[in-house]
Amino acid sequence: MNRMLLFLLTLVTLIVLPGCDYRILERIGFTYAGSYDLVEDNQIEVGISIPRADPTIKLVRELHSAIGKSSKDVRLKFAQQTDLLLVNGQIRVLLYSEALARKSLSDQIKGIVRDTSISPLVKIAIVNGNAKELLFKNYKQHLSTDKYINRLLEKESTNHQIPRTTLYEFERDYYDDGVDPVAPVIKDDGENITTDGIALFRDYDFVGKINSKDALVFCILRGNFKKGSMSLDLNSKNDDNAQNYIMFTSMISSKKVYVEHKANEPIHVVIKAMIKGSIHEYIGDLKLSDDAQRHQIENKVSQLLSERANRIMKQLQEKKVDSLGIGMHVRNSMSYKDWKGMNWREVYPEVKVDCQLHFKAKDYGKAR
Amino acid sequence: METSEKLSPFHTTIFIYMIQTGVMGLILPQLLAENFGTNGWITLFGFGILATLNILLIGVVYKLGQGKSIFRILEQSIPKFMLVPVYLALALVWALLGCMAGKEYILIFQMYAFPTTSPMEFNLILDILVFWLLTMGLYNIAKASTVFFWLIVWFVLLLFFFYADFSWSRMTPFLFKGGKLSLLESLDIYSSFVGYETILLMFAYTNQKTKLIKSAMLGNSITTLTYLYLALITFGVYSLEQLKSKAFPLLEMLAYIRFPFVERMENLLFGFILFTVLFSVVTYEWCALEMLKQVFPRLKVNFLAFMLMLSCFVIAYIPDTLNEVGDWLSTLSLIECGIAVGLPLVLIVVLLFQNIGSRPAHE
Amino acid sequence: MTLSQVLRQMMIKESGSNPNNDSSANLPDQDNQPPTLAHTLEEFKDCSDVTHESFPEHQVELIYFDQLVDKEKLSRHILSPLLTGTEQEVSKMLLHLQPFHTNSSKDLILNILAGGVGVFHGPNAFVFNVYSPENRSISQSETETVITGPHDAFTEQINTSLAMIRARLRSSHLKVIKLSVGEVSKTEVYLLYIKDIVNMRFVDEAKKRIEKIEVDAILDTNMIIQYMDDNKYSIFPQFLTSERPDAIVSKLVAGRVVGMVDGSPSAFTAPTSFFEFFSSSDDYYQRWILGSAIRLLRFIAFIITISFTAMYVSVTTFHYEMIPENLILTLTESRSRVPFPPLYEALLMEVTIELLREAGARLPTKIGQTIGIVGGIVIGQAAVQAGLTSNILIIAVASSAIASFVIPSYVMSASIRLIRFGLILLAGLFGNLGILFGITAIVIHLSSLTSLGSSYLNPVAPFEPKDWKDIFIRAPFSSLRARPTQSDSPNKVRNKTRR
Repeated sequence: MNRMLLFLLTLVTLIVLPGCDYRILERIGFTYAGSYDLVEDNQIEVGISIPRADPTIKLVRELHSAIGKSSKDVRLKFAQQTDLLLVNGQIRVLLYSEALARKSLSDQIKGIVRDTSISPLVKIAIVNGNAKELLFKNYKQHLSTDKYINRLLEKESTNHQIPRTTLYEFERDYYDDGVDPVAPVIKDDGENITTDGIALFRDYDFVGKINSKDALVFCILRGNFKKGSMSLDLNSKNDDNAQNYIMFTSMISSKKVYVEHKANEPIHVVIKAMIKGSIHEYIGDLKLSDDAQRHQIENKVSQLLSERANRIMKQLQEKKVDSLGIGMHVRNSMSYKDWKGMNWREVYPEVKVDCQLHFKAKDYGKAR
Repeated sequence: METSEKLSPFHTTIFIYMIQTGVMGLILPQLLAENFGTNGWITLFGFGILATLNILLIGVVYKLGQGKSIFRILEQSIPKFMLVPVYLALALVWALLGCMAGKEYILIFQMYAFPTTSPMEFNLILDILVFWLLTMGLYNIAKASTVFFWLIVWFVLLLFFFYADFSWSRMTPFLFKGGKLSLLESLDIYSSFVGYETILLMFAYTNQKTKLIKSAMLGNSITTLTYLYLALITFGVYSLEQLKSKAFPLLEMLAYIRFPFVERMENLLFGFILFTVLFSVVTYEWCALEMLKQVFPRLKVNFLAFMLMLSCFVIAYIPDTLNEVGDWLSTLSLIECGIAVGLPLVLIVVLLFQNIGSRPAHE
Repeated sequence: MTLSQVLRQMMIKESGSNPNNDSSANLPDQDNQPPTLAHTLEEFKDCSDVTHESFPEHQVELIYFDQLVDKEKLSRHILSPLLTGTEQEVSKMLLHLQPFHTNSSKDLILNILAGGVGVFHGPNAFVFNVYSPENRSISQSETETVITGPHDAFTEQINTSLAMIRARLRSSHLKVIKLSVGEVSKTEVYLLYIKDIVNMRFVDEAKKRIEKIEVDAILDTNMIIQYMDDNKYSIFPQFLTSERPDAIVSKLVAGRVVGMVDGSPSAFTAPTSFFEFFSSSDDYYQRWILGSAIRLLRFIAFIITISFTAMYVSVTTFHYEMIPENLILTLTESRSRVPFPPLYEALLMEVTIELLREAGARLPTKIGQTIGIVGGIVIGQAAVQAGLTSNILIIAVASSAIASFVIPSYVMSASIRLIRFGLILLAGLFGNLGILFGITAIVIHLSSLTSLGSSYLNPVAPFEPKDWKDIFIRAPFSSLRARPTQSDSPNKVRNKTRR
């Protein structure tokens, strides 16, 4: 008896109570990518791209843009323009123009982090130029632009041409006192979109950029990775007649950081990285199958890479951004009081950093 | 339906675990970061040991009273009319605690889905489930908790996803630096362990074979280990300041998990946490019911349970924001911590008096 | 009853139990009188199929049902001495009948009804059993087919079925209790168990429950088990039924009680657990790794059956975030032509599938196949093209239907299919939380269920890790040494092979 009563009660409850927060798939417009640009009067222009998949219309994506004080403010304007319910849960890419980033991304990022529907895996990228134009432009030989950007960023970051930057990582590095966040830069290249180096942030402000040529070395210095390929011109500057060129792939790199404190001297940091790779292409006089000659090439590569690394390091120190996370290692080598007593951002440019990269050829392909 | 079967050690262990873990687990890492700063997760050991000591205190009651139910212990020495208000007060605290824990869970869920649906709709369903469990009796509740345990234990495997982003150097070598210890909040942390004290009322449902105290301690250590593991991963995945800025770090971490066929696992997994929440709620309501049974011995248990759940449902209308519920819950857990220590102490005193009183009679 | 009385009854405990008013105790006792021909004929008045033969020269009267008896046996033992024999032979025959002498009229009539021949000789009455009804030959089971292993199945004739068990278990410890159920049908029900292996607690309980049944007729095993249920409101079967003698024998040696009903080709076993419904005797005839894989597959099938369509509804209605990037456009595209919300779409397709299944089951095999093709291809394909459903839903519905048929027990699979509808409804109302509310409700219900008083979720709760290797996987025989804990057997070890 009791059980029947309970059952009936439940049934009635279920019928009486309607859930009302429907997000039925075809009635929602899930933003796939968003762009943020700075316009005058301290306002921002937001553009969004919503993929459409209705077979009855030819449209591939719906684009909206509006200008307003904040991104939430602008959203209300979009909502009036579309028949779909706008939602944020499927955002994959957020693009910020360099101009906006120079001013500070603080408001933007803080705005996103609070939204529970936005995934922490959203990719963040900086656009060299106008972000909205880049997002709204159609590239003939590519997928719809929003997807194209997403996949480009994904592929490039798995190959370590750029660091992987998601909202989670960006925020994490922002909050950590021993490391500063970075983000990839992309730009319009006529027919295509290309990556254009790495943006360096001090807190939420864009302060500098690493060239795309140096991006891989930067990634080596930033952390361990697998995959990725690199080509190097082994010529020294004085003899440019002889062809001397090497390209290696399937890199495996592991990094170690050693911190040394000495009295009355700046902190000494040594970054040691071991890079293993398979040589895919080599144009030059030395024979790879000969151990001594191969070691010679390896040493040459190591030396060139170390030089580059040190150059990057200088650049970072000049800009006072610790994008490599050296502070984390320094912090972990000190007592809490000393660390808090020292202003790392001020000390950082003074630190003596020595990058030692070692290359080792795992194999050298089919030819001997 | 009440079976006379006694709890088995395994069931008791799992049951205690299910009671203890609950919605507080979601907030725990943030509280640890806030209060203890770097490597705050280590303090969970301490909290675990505190809880164990408390269980041992209850063990003393169990030993001295030779497994007699606390009602028999109390009513032997104290007149019933004096006990009735105490019973009612305890019932009130437990009923409220259960109903607030349920409501908190639902409000958190609503941040992620169904933001505009009335929380009371969900609360109603939850209360119906709780009522159903209540009518089944303790043995079946414990049995059900075992099944639910197996349904959520695979959660732990999901944490493997974070090994790629986990970094020891992010944890820093500093111990408890950069936190702001506040007594009230650390009591909040402790309240995520609370739940073991309900074994005080389970004496009558156990026998020698249950090894009640041992099982409770084992259950408590499983809870401690689970919390430790969770907190360890969160501290290694998030930087300290970031952790402090998150309201529900665990949920956000779950959002990170991505399978080829499904993403944003927090939407699904948050539902699974319902299981542990359900048992926290059920057990507190059960305790309240036990008290009410003593006060109104003439009323049918199912009717009492119905009235209890009805009043819980009505009371749950009062606080309607997450913060309000959180405040209620903090206050109630504070009282609950007091009960967890105070009630066994009172019982020990009563028992000592009884033993002194009865000894001459023996000789 | 006034409202206040009703309330009072709901609220307040009854003190002291009512004395049992036993209505069956004082039945009129006239049937226990010594049998007479007149009384017997009176009983069978208006039964035109009864045969009454008189042999006044020998003072013998025969009463029997022509269609129930074995003619040859009847003529050899009784008719031929009467027709052709001398006085001496007749008295010799009567001497042979002495052990079948009966003193109770009721007994006589019951035995005639059960295929005996009633012999009246003066004041004496005998009843001699020559029962031999028309019988279907032993054939394969339609509902429980296996690939390897024995193919024979029980028939409706209880003697044949019992013989199949006896032939497989040549032990005097195999005991059979005969009971009769049904006030009109007087159906024979047999309880089988193996002495020293079974726990008599279960035998007594089963016997008690069968004896309590007071109904006009019992027609099938699946009917009697519903009279014996622990929880009559449950959707789940609380007894395992099977038509396969090998399966039933395996339950017997595991220490379970088996019940068989005359006229039904299936037998039931108890106590049983939820997980037992997921194992088939096939598992034991294959290599253990294969058997284990198939068992795991069945549990996966169970999860698919109850959750696939519900997940589709929940995700497309509420939780769009959960859909991976590559899937969301395909899903949206196929959904965009559908005019109904996902909940109605899903219910529509699920009902269609159930209609197809039911139609297929009712029709003869050949037409059933046609229905399958018409339903599967025409409706599935056409519904998508007409824009009534999305093709991804068709996949979800079809795979959950297929998965439901993987579960070996037809009764369980039907129950699970019904539960699915509840979950779909909940998913349409409350999304993922709704599904989990549903699952919670199912688990709460399951954990309160019992089968013959032992827990329905046996090796999980109460927790018996030893048994898991014969429930979730099928471990090699060398490690299956003990009988299941659920049967609580006094003789625990079943396998002493040393290797």
